[in-house]
Amino acid sequence: MNTPQPHTPAAVQPREEDEFAPGAAEWPEDFSRRRFLQIMAASLALAGGGACTRLPHGEILPYLRQPESLVPGKPLYFATSMNFGGTAQGLLVRSNEGRPTKIEGNPDHPGSLGRSSVHAQAELLSLYDPARSHTPMKLGHPETWEGWLGEALPRIAHWKEREGAGVRLLIQRIGSPTMRAQLAQFLAKYPKARLHFHDAAFPESPMPARVHHDRVQVVLSLDAELFGHGAAHLSAALAFAKSRLSEEQPGRLYAVECTPTLTGAMADHRRTLAPSALVKYAQALADAVAGRAQPSDEWSAALIRDLQKNPGRSVVVAGHFQPLSVHQAARALNEALGNIGKTIDYTPAAAAELAPATLGELVTAMNHGEVDSLLILGGNPVYDTPADLSFAAALAKIPFSAHHGVYENETAQLCRWHLPESHFLEAWSDAQTLDGAESIGQPLIDPLYPSRSAHELLAMLLEQVPTTGYEIIRAAWQKRHPADDFESFWRKTLHDGVAANAAPAVPAAARESSPNAETPALAGLELILRPDAHILDGRYAENAWLQELPKPFTQLTWENAALISPQTAKALRLEHGKLAELRYRGRTLRAPVWILPGQAENCVTIHLGYGRSRAGTVGTGLGSNAFALQTSDALWGGGGLEVHSLGERHTFATTQSQQYMEGRDPVRLVTPGKTSVATESESTPSLYPAWKYDGPAWGMVIDLSACIGCSACTIACQAENNIPVVGREQVLRRREMHWIRVDRYFDGDAAAPRFLHQPVPCMHCENAPCELVCPVGATVHDHEGLNVMVYNRCVGTRYCSNNCPYKVRRFNFLKYNDTDSPTLKLMRNPNVTVRMRGVMEKCTYCLQRISAARITAEKEQRPIRDGEVVPACAQACPADAIIFGDINDKASRVTALRKSPRHYSLLDDLNTRPRTTYLARLRNPNPEIG
Amino acid sequence: MLTFRARNPLGCCVKHMITEGMSQLFPRYSNTLAPAAIAAVLVTVGVAIWTIHAFVFSSYATEVGHPVSQVVPFSHQHHVAGLGIDCRYCHTGVETSSFAGIPATETCMTCHSQVWRDAPMLAPVRDSWTTGQPLHWNRVHNLPDYVYFDHSIHVQKGVACVSCHGRVDRMPLMAKSQTLYMRWCLDCHEAPEKHLRPASDVFLMKDEAPDPHRGAELARAAGVQTAHLQDCSVCHR
Repeated sequence: MNTPQPHTPAAVQPREEDEFAPGAAEWPEDFSRRRFLQIMAASLALAGGGACTRLPHGEILPYLRQPESLVPGKPLYFATSMNFGGTAQGLLVRSNEGRPTKIEGNPDHPGSLGRSSVHAQAELLSLYDPARSHTPMKLGHPETWEGWLGEALPRIAHWKEREGAGVRLLIQRIGSPTMRAQLAQFLAKYPKARLHFHDAAFPESPMPARVHHDRVQVVLSLDAELFGHGAAHLSAALAFAKSRLSEEQPGRLYAVECTPTLTGAMADHRRTLAPSALVKYAQALADAVAGRAQPSDEWSAALIRDLQKNPGRSVVVAGHFQPLSVHQAARALNEALGNIGKTIDYTPAAAAELAPATLGELVTAMNHGEVDSLLILGGNPVYDTPADLSFAAALAKIPFSAHHGVYENETAQLCRWHLPESHFLEAWSDAQTLDGAESIGQPLIDPLYPSRSAHELLAMLLEQVPTTGYEIIRAAWQKRHPADDFESFWRKTLHDGVAANAAPAVPAAARESSPNAETPALAGLELILRPDAHILDGRYAENAWLQELPKPFTQLTWENAALISPQTAKALRLEHGKLAELRYRGRTLRAPVWILPGQAENCVTIHLGYGRSRAGTVGTGLGSNAFALQTSDALWGGGGLEVHSLGERHTFATTQSQQYMEGRDPVRLVTPGKTSVATESESTPSLYPAWKYDGPAWGMVIDLSACIGCSACTIACQAENNIPVVGREQVLRRREMHWIRVDRYFDGDAAAPRFLHQPVPCMHCENAPCELVCPVGATVHDHEGLNVMVYNRCVGTRYCSNNCPYKVRRFNFLKYNDTDSPTLKLMRNPNVTVRMRGVMEKCTYCLQRISAARITAEKEQRPIRDGEVVPACAQACPADAIIFGDINDKASRVTALRKSPRHYSLLDDLNTRPRTTYLARLRNPNPEIG
Repeated sequence: MLTFRARNPLGCCVKHMITEGMSQLFPRYSNTLAPAAIAAVLVTVGVAIWTIHAFVFSSYATEVGHPVSQVVPFSHQHHVAGLGIDCRYCHTGVETSSFAGIPATETCMTCHSQVWRDAPMLAPVRDSWTTGQPLHWNRVHNLPDYVYFDHSIHVQKGVACVSCHGRVDRMPLMAKSQTLYMRWCLDCHEAPEKHLRPASDVFLMKDEAPDPHRGAELARAAGVQTAHLQDCSVCHR
């Protein structure tokens, strides 16, 4: 053994000695190899011994008085409604022993028809989010509601003296009729007070309209987002899917847009135009239909002929972000085509009776010292307002400012007071659809923190009794719906989720004001600002489910990017994945460049909602804040943008790097003329013996004609199956956990590609490659044909995932599930195992729902009915694109669909014989322009 | 030397060690010691396996027959055998839900607001009723979190209460009567006909084993699919 030598710094050590550094070949004297092995053996034995504990004892706490109709172990469902951008989404919420655990659509509600959106699904996580605001705050210090009252009551006395002079309320989109009534009372009590409206995700449309999608044959969208977030998108998606699949007269959709939207992805004919060109194009179309001009090209001529062939059965819809002139052109087109009153109704603006002023007027008043009390009801104006208004600076001048919201965000931080708002699942409210159908929003759980609803806060400011949300809503309903037997009307409405005697909204003249100024024609590129598809204007930035949900066209998670078309990028010498500086009207923003086929030429789209500075541990500091480029005269962008590459590389957290199908045709297309997609390999014999099924054999068919690519299935699955999020850093390593993903492909010409979306869950193959390679039998076939994953057997070899050609298996590389936060424990579905580190997982076809249906059917001694088992993805799907059932049942819907000529299976040449199969996407192009 | 080499049970054939001039590596008694050592290892491993097995199935590990202390020493013996109260009076969810249910304090108080009103033993029940705090019962039957058991379907198919919970009418304090190990579950899922009773007997406290012929009829009538009963997916999700 060498004697230890004093350490010599490496730099001064001769090179020869370096090779045999003292002691390098030997174990340290005090820690021999033998000793090491002894310690390791002992550790192993002790670790093994540690596992020999008895099962921990639990406690059972029964009720004091068991609530009526509650049976522990059986979930209850309650109808409620959510205000989403001013319209009602009727929901049915599952409650396990008093904990809301899953949000679903209410089939009886006209606003949701039993379907739900990504945002409705993700609200479950928002309810239990540990980062929610826990307590009132005054100047950054925790306070109490009593403390707030102590300061607010003298203020209110002061307001009354001055008749509300200097009092301003900033509101977002309001869908609650009771809230509108309360605000009207507020203005009556404090006549000199004023309301201001600001909503960055749901701006007031220059010409609000209601489209009757169920009566439409031909749709022309002028940058309208029919299927993405917005009013009535759920019913629109379902109606469009029905019309598209109609055998006699399949519907047709034309889209003219600036940046890819879900509507454009579904369109039979899509044209991209820069915002300034779109304004001119809309006017040219209106002129051509009116006979004042000739159509500019063959495409437009064919479109006009198609519209004119369907008078009263067509519709032209202008987008929320388009200026008034586009809406006027759309209205002129609808008038010329005789659509008004048949397929489209122009409606009064939401909350028109309150006549709220704009945000700009508020900021001017604040800067002039005309405001001494400002109440911000929801929202985050410090972050989500145009940069030229400098809202934060104006806010600092207000002596008494209060922010009421679910999160303590940037605005809360700069206000004197922050007051925690109850989540909609904790509070009483009501809501209205565009058609006027009213529904009650009933709470599913007591507030988790000392929070109040906006109704309760307003009652406080109005010095009204009653003060509880329940009493406020009930009293308002009694006033609005005077029934002989109000009690039974109230109970029935609560149970059904929608009022029986809903009064339809009265169509009224359009409002001739324009918050969306026309884009000024300036040299250079055009900037397009839009709310993000998932986190909108940043209001969902704290929601990790929505952050990790891949964006529909980029498959990007946790961040935004500057979207540029391939040709424009080439002309500007911009590279994909390199940081660029956007210069617009004297303001700059750094954002990574994403080259997106299908984006309009000479335009850059950047989505809002990122770059939040105070959005909890989840949302802070992600992406670039596009509000920094927003100006109050042209909210949704304009000309005069310059983009310069900075050369710095940026790595995107994207879940799909493949852009094209490379000839393997995962998505197949048909047209009404050519309907068969069957290939020869479908009848390939197999060496493996066939499975026999005596009972049900479960199968799923996904109709790509109906799928709009909204990803509601992914979030519904995440909520139902306790699927964790992994975070940006893990997404970069391709470790996302979604059991059903929505793949996106570009098809055809790179300059004007078709967008194809395809949901991919586990295929539950008959000849499953994963089953053959598992060394411990942790993935096996069951007698109903499910490919079952047994977590308690899995040792984490990941062979199955390697052998899966569809890449639908997900591995818990780390302990992704947060099992420590007490509120998140409440959120979990008790019927699905919470997976730990080192375990493989994948889609189970919602085995827990199959089990529940089987047990019910067996207790009633009957077979499981068709449609009785609905997996979470199929339940959420707005377009009814996912159909699940028993393929052994000759009469089931899924069996009928499997006989369709459009039926095919994914990668059928591998002969895995999947149980999840697809129906090819049906296109209905105009024969004149192919 | 050659003899040694052939006999060397360790199969040691280090050629250079057998060369001249080098001393014999193993003494002669190695010939006895080596097989003895192997036997000893086998015995030790056997004993270890037996010990682990004996431990795992010991009543210490399974807790079978070990009464669990409770905040109120509730006696099934008294309430079931003595008073003849049906299981479903308290365990109301057993026919409809996965969870049989523990009675609410209100259920206890239906009788105990009239009888044994002042019994010190029942003080926690009265306290719960007056303070509004639930009683904390210690769990006796606990399954791992990845196992999903449903009471209602077992009762419906004719698995009697006694089959899993034993003669609760003889238990002054509740104790487990079965291991609740997966092997024990599979005993029944592999041959359900040996364990099924007619619906009239499900809630009765009976010692005698069910009639397998009758059980086979019942299984047929109830449409029990033995193959599917052994699928992992039946209990694990």
